[in-house]
Formats: sequence, C-alpha cells, structure tokens
Amino acid sequence: MKARLGEVDASMRQPAMLFLVSAVFWLLAGSAFAIMAAIKSTNPDFLGLSEWLTFGRVRTAHLNAMIFGWGNNVIFAVAPWIMGRLCKARIRHTNILLAAGIFWNIAVTVGIFGILRGDMVGVEWLEMPAYITPLVIITYALIGVWVVIAFRWRQSEHVYVSQWYILAAFFWLPWLYTIAQIMLIFEPATGVVQSLTNWWFAHNVLGLWLTPIAIATAYYLIPKVLGRPIHSYYLSVVGFWALALFYNWAGVHHLIGGPVPAWVISAGTVASVMMVIPVIVTAINHHLTVVGSHKDGWASPTIRFVMFGAINYTVVSLFGSAMALRHVNEVTHFTHFTVGHAHHGVYAFFTMIMFGAVYYMMPRLLFREWRNPFLIRVHWWMCGLGILLMVISLQIGGWIQGLEMNALDADGVPVHTFIQVVENTKPWLWLRSLSGLMLLVGHIAFAINVFWMIFSPKTEGQVTQPTLLTPTTEET
Amino acid sequence: MDFNIYILLAAGIATTFFVATAIALHWAHKNGQFSNLDRGAQSIFDDDEPLGQVTDRFPVSRKKRAAKGK
Repeated sequence: MKARLGEVDASMRQPAMLFLVSAVFWLLAGSAFAIMAAIKSTNPDFLGLSEWLTFGRVRTAHLNAMIFGWGNNVIFAVAPWIMGRLCKARIRHTNILLAAGIFWNIAVTVGIFGILRGDMVGVEWLEMPAYITPLVIITYALIGVWVVIAFRWRQSEHVYVSQWYILAAFFWLPWLYTIAQIMLIFEPATGVVQSLTNWWFAHNVLGLWLTPIAIATAYYLIPKVLGRPIHSYYLSVVGFWALALFYNWAGVHHLIGGPVPAWVISAGTVASVMMVIPVIVTAINHHLTVVGSHKDGWASPTIRFVMFGAINYTVVSLFGSAMALRHVNEVTHFTHFTVGHAHHGVYAFFTMIMFGAVYYMMPRLLFREWRNPFLIRVHWWMCGLGILLMVISLQIGGWIQGLEMNALDADGVPVHTFIQVVENTKPWLWLRSLSGLMLLVGHIAFAINVFWMIFSPKTEGQVTQPTLLTPTTEET
Repeated sequence: MDFNIYILLAAGIATTFFVATAIALHWAHKNGQFSNLDRGAQSIFDDDEPLGQVTDRFPVSRKKRAAKGK
C-alpha cells in the first residue's frame, strides 16, 4: 500500500535527526579547522607551537571533517528521506540506518583524532588512518543495503530521476572506497599507478557521490517547492545516463603534466569535456523550471539555497571542464585556483543544496516551523556572499600565481623568484580568511536555528495536513 | 605487482562499472520507465502535496505573528 508523505517523514524522523545533528556538529568543527588553516597560510606562526595543530594536520582535519563528517552525515539524512518519499513506502529497518549513523560518527571521530595525532595516510581524500577502514566499510555497506531494500519494496511505479541518482551513488561509493583501500593501503600500488588510483578515487567521490546526491536533491526539491514539474523530464533522464556512463574516467585530469601514459590523460580530458553534456542538460532543467516563479523561489529558503547551488553547479562544472584542457591546466595546476575550484564545487554547489534540503526536511520531520527567519537570512547572506568572495579571490589570486610561476624572460629564466610569487598571493589569502569568517557566522546562525527548533515545542495548530505548513506563509 | 596487471585491473573495473550501468539502462527501458515521461515528471506530486501548490516559504517572524494575533 502506498504510504502518505507524512507517514514517510514520521518513519524517517529518528535516523535523519541523528545524522543531521552530527552533521551540524561536524560543520562547526570543520569550519574551526578551516579558519585555523586559512590564518596559518598568511601567518605561519599562528598556533605553530603544537604539533597537533600544524598546517598539514589542521588542513587535512578540515577536509575530512567537511567531506566525511558534514557531507556524508547530511547525505545519510537527506538521501534516504528523498528515497523513501519517492518510493512512497514507510521507511523500514531504521535500525540499519541508526547503526550506520553510530558506526559512521565513531569512525570519523577516531579518524580525525588520528589525523591530528599524526597517523595520517599520505593519500589525498583517504587520509584517515587505516584502523577505521572496517568501520567505514560496514557503514557504507549498511547504508547501501538499506537503499537497495527501500528501492526493491517501493510502492511507486515510476522511478523518478532522483531515485536513479541516489541508487547509483549508493551503489558506486562502497565499490570506489573498497577498491581504493585495497589498491592504496592494503596491497599498495607503486609509482604512477598509485597516483592514478588516488585521483580516480578522489575525483569520483566528488563526481559519483556528492554530485549525484546534490543533483538528485535539486531535481526533487525545485519542482516540489514550486509545485510545477521539471522543465524537460526527458533531458533529465538523458543527463543521468550520460553521467553514469562516462564520469568515472574524468578523475585522471588531476595528473595532467605528470609522468602518466599520454592516452590515459587524453581519455580523462575527453571524459571531462564530455561532462559538458549532462551539465548543460541539468542546467536547462534546473533553471528553466524556476523561470516565471522567481518570486515564489525567493520567498522560499529551500529554493534560495538550492538554486544558488544549481547555478554554481553549472558554473563550476564548465570551469572544471576547461581546467582539464592541457593549456589551461598549465596555469592553474599547483595554484590556489584549484583550491577555489574545490570549494566552488563542494561548498557553493553541494553544501548550499544540502542546506536547502535541511530547510525543507526538518519542519516535516519534527512538525515544527523554523523559529527565526532572521537567522535564516543571516545564514543565506553570509554563506552566499562568503563563498562567492572565497571562490573569486582564490581563483583570481591563483590565476595570477600560475602566470607568475610560468613567466620566463627572453633567456628562459624565471621572471619571479618563488618567494616573490608566494608573497604576492598574500592579499588574496587574507580575503580567503575573511570569507571563511563569513561562512563561520552563517554556520553558527544555522546551528542556532537547528537546535532552537529541536528544543522548542511543536508548532501549534499550524500543521493542517500531514506535510504542509500552510498558514505560516509570509510575502517577502 | 606488475604495471600491466594494474592497468588491466583498472580497465576491468572501469568496464565493470560501464557494463553495470548499461545493464541498468536496458532494464529501465524494458520496464517501461521511458514510455510516459510526462507522467513520470509528475510522479512526485500527490494529494498531500499537489501540483501547482508552493510548499515552502520563510516562516513568519514572532513579532508579525503577534501583530496578526491581535
């Protein structure tokens, strides 16, 4: 029997709240590590006396807290919820999700403690020490099995495009992780193959895990909030299959210029440029669905965040495809441009869409309204402007840095010494620290609103139907 | 291990991913998932959250709520 949406929401309450609360804590921890690392890049002495807080460890702790603490926790809250709603079936076996939530947070806590303690593994995106691997594999397996069970016993006839994305992502990630762990940690490949495997994994975490989940969320929430179907559903389906078939090759573009067989790099470049197809398709859909409903969109916190993410998905992906071209990559490689690009993707696209999803999901899970619209606005403006400032300053600064490092005079001698180039990046890095502070303010506003909502009584007399919070509207 | 074994292994994994996706695509087609896309696009709406209804807005601030209450 088909479940009503309100029943699905109620059945998801416990696991989703466990993941969400953990995600918010990790978001704050990750922001703190980020600020420390950012200040250290202009003032290396800052907190330099403790080996636990040296740049290498803090920066890595930041990355892992954000990707695996915030990112994965919020995904484990949002994706099963969307899956359940689309399958029109009550969420069963929530124990599986709860167990996964506990395992996962123990794994990340121990992992980040290990990084700060100095047990880091020297493989980017897999830095958490090998002793947490079993916990991570158990978590991914539990969640993967749960998603397959939910899909298998779905009550809906049509498989909506978001379900495809979520199903695929939860299928891909455990495989990616297991293969990478075996080839990099337990039976380590050497030399070039090691870095190839590293970047195949790291980029696929982005492309086959964070990206599909965020796109799935946007494909669900944009039409849902605005009450109008997606502009071209046909194109959305084409976009999914294009991503599914070809993305997995793109990661090796991180090694352009490296001692890697040329055909591997060419294949990676071709795959990266081919990603323009699913990106444009997704862009057409996300953007044209909103056209004509801008007012409704602006009045909705969910749509504000999700559309910000969707617009940035288009921009960041086109940048990414361009950066995979050899001549562009000559300039951007090893500069802050790449750091800016990474934040553009994971924050301006992925995280902003997840914020939007939380704004939609929590009132329905808890039957409570958001307590304070002012805090939502603070969150929106600080994070929106903050991440734009960060991306723009790092990418302009990084591009200049790349040009300066490559500049040769007529005799082929570098024009700038390395230290000059480093000194010239400082103003941009100060701007980056400032943008980091703005994001921190936004995150604190968000966290206050989340906990305020959790600890406040249910919204009285305002929940008239299972999932609608109707009379709480306001024209802005 | 030998370099070539790794290349073979990597090619094998990439091929497996590709073939798995191709099989899924074939299943979706056979299952009729692509036969009525208009209905598919509307499958996210139901009686609780119907087509044409905006379902999210900024909450009313407490001051305004109090003012309305009067």
